[in-house]
Amino acid sequence: MADDVISVRGLTMGFGERVVIRDLDFTVRRGEIFVVMGASGCGKTTLLRHLLGLQEPAAGEVRYGDESFTSAPPDERERILRRVGVLFQGSALWTSMTLAENVALPLEQFTSLGASSVRAVVRLKLSLVGLRGFEEYYPWELSGGMQKRAGLARAISLDPEILLIDEPSASLDPPTARRLDGLILQLRGALGTTAVVVTHDVATILGIGTRALFLDGEAQRAIAEGPPSELRERGPAPVRAFFAGSVAGP
Amino acid sequence: MTTLSGATVDVRRTDDATLFIRLGGTWRLADGLPRVKDVERELDRPRPPRVTIDGAGLAAWDSALVVFVGAVLDGCRSRGIPVDARGLPAEVGRLLELAQETAVPEERTAPSPSGIERVGVRALKRHVKLLGAVAFIGDTALALGRFGRGRGRYRPQDLWLLVQQSGAEALPIVVLVNFLVGIILAFVGITQLRFFGAETYVADIVGIAVVRDMAALITGVTLSGRSGGAFAAQIATMKVTQEIDALRTFGFSPVEFLVVPRVLALTAMTPFLTLFADATGILGGAVVGTTMLHQPFSGYVRQTALAVTAGDLVGGLVKGATYGLLIALTATHRGMQAERSAARVGDAATQAVVTGIVAIIAACGVYQYVFFLFGW
Repeated sequence: MADDVISVRGLTMGFGERVVIRDLDFTVRRGEIFVVMGASGCGKTTLLRHLLGLQEPAAGEVRYGDESFTSAPPDERERILRRVGVLFQGSALWTSMTLAENVALPLEQFTSLGASSVRAVVRLKLSLVGLRGFEEYYPWELSGGMQKRAGLARAISLDPEILLIDEPSASLDPPTARRLDGLILQLRGALGTTAVVVTHDVATILGIGTRALFLDGEAQRAIAEGPPSELRERGPAPVRAFFAGSVAGP
Repeated sequence: MTTLSGATVDVRRTDDATLFIRLGGTWRLADGLPRVKDVERELDRPRPPRVTIDGAGLAAWDSALVVFVGAVLDGCRSRGIPVDARGLPAEVGRLLELAQETAVPEERTAPSPSGIERVGVRALKRHVKLLGAVAFIGDTALALGRFGRGRGRYRPQDLWLLVQQSGAEALPIVVLVNFLVGIILAFVGITQLRFFGAETYVADIVGIAVVRDMAALITGVTLSGRSGGAFAAQIATMKVTQEIDALRTFGFSPVEFLVVPRVLALTAMTPFLTLFADATGILGGAVVGTTMLHQPFSGYVRQTALAVTAGDLVGGLVKGATYGLLIALTATHRGMQAERSAARVGDAATQAVVTGIVAIIAACGVYQYVFFLFGW
């Protein structure tokens, strides 16, 4: 379908002989915030790594639109990934560069913008995440929440069609985490970006998710998919227990 | 009209002198941005009473449009010209509002200092660094004192691991490098002594040079690159990952816990490595000496033993211990000085190696002068 941005078909993920999740099937549609949730160690981040080609599947396929990502050669993968922005769990900002340089690098490498235009775009992106005036700061001079926002500014530097976000609320206090959630919603609303958010934070799942997929580490498969509020009320027992807080987080 | 790979900017004046900016086509960052200066020029000749921006002709857009509109709005604002931008997509307005919501911190733009100020700032920075180095040496001396009294806090298994890493694991490279240096010294010696018919004294030259200086020096340089760089990188990484902060919060002194074991391990192991370096340096010389001069191996060794004194050997080992101490101190200090950034880990390792080599060569010079003064 034209509205299918990411499709995962029969994906089996693991480390060597150890299978984490098997036979995974789901589709991410244009403009939605798709949440991948589950307890620690269930394979959420591993799934994200498969979506990015950082890890190869044991079986199955990842597709972006109507192109197969899994079977694409490296240069094709690079081209497909140009449509994707990533916010890593630890922000993964380049610590030897200022925030402005972090955001500017993709613009300098992958657009024909001149230096003054790059500066203008960098200023806009940092302003969008509330970091105007922090252009010349280094990542290690900022708080965890600010680093996350700077990571988001870098992730949206090239106006990606898809945003992959790993644990946006990890190591953030609840108000900062909610602000970041709000920012993701606002950016989605304004830029029309499709987002895949990997998280175990119930507030984030219910706050921003339009659809969610629950991975069960014990069963080694996805056991539920649907709108988060529906899953909380009428999902399978492990999912309701997860929302109720009886599954321990990290 | 400005066009750029599909993005169009049409600027014209209406009957009531309003400046009408019509934006159209496809706006993509990858294609670049139209020039805002063209619009700004229109704003100045003559200044319009108002500006209207319309986006009815837009086919597709991304941040390129937002950046352009933001710059036009800034230009109008600075000239006090009212703007009607209701003709733009609502999302553009929403993004511009979001960008404006930021609380702006103090700009990090210090006025650029004059030449004299720059010299002063550099001198002060050097002064602070020097004080830091002196304080570090003092802290280490005190920590070594506590260690000597059995009151130092450290993990014994860490110390033994460091002894193994700095000693046994460094042995192969130290042996190889010194063997090659012995070969080089013998070659140079024979070539030059041949002019005077004195090439049979090559064993004396190689033996004395290796045992008195070269073995310790070459071992020091090798260890500076190997162990010194590793020490600095380990400690700098621990700073980045806040492991050192964690030690402090538990009441451990990072100097006691990290610096002292490294200083002890390297200071203790370097003389042993120097001893092996002595033997392999002489062996390297013997390989060349016996091959080129057709001298028996036992004769070469006997001649070396006659030339080299116990004082030479002890002096070389003392130098080795000093170099080990200097390498460990400079490396751990560089690691502790590093800032909390991955790039600084590499810098710390590089600085540790360079400072270590400079320190041991300077110490070698001092030893030469002192030994000369006392006639050793």
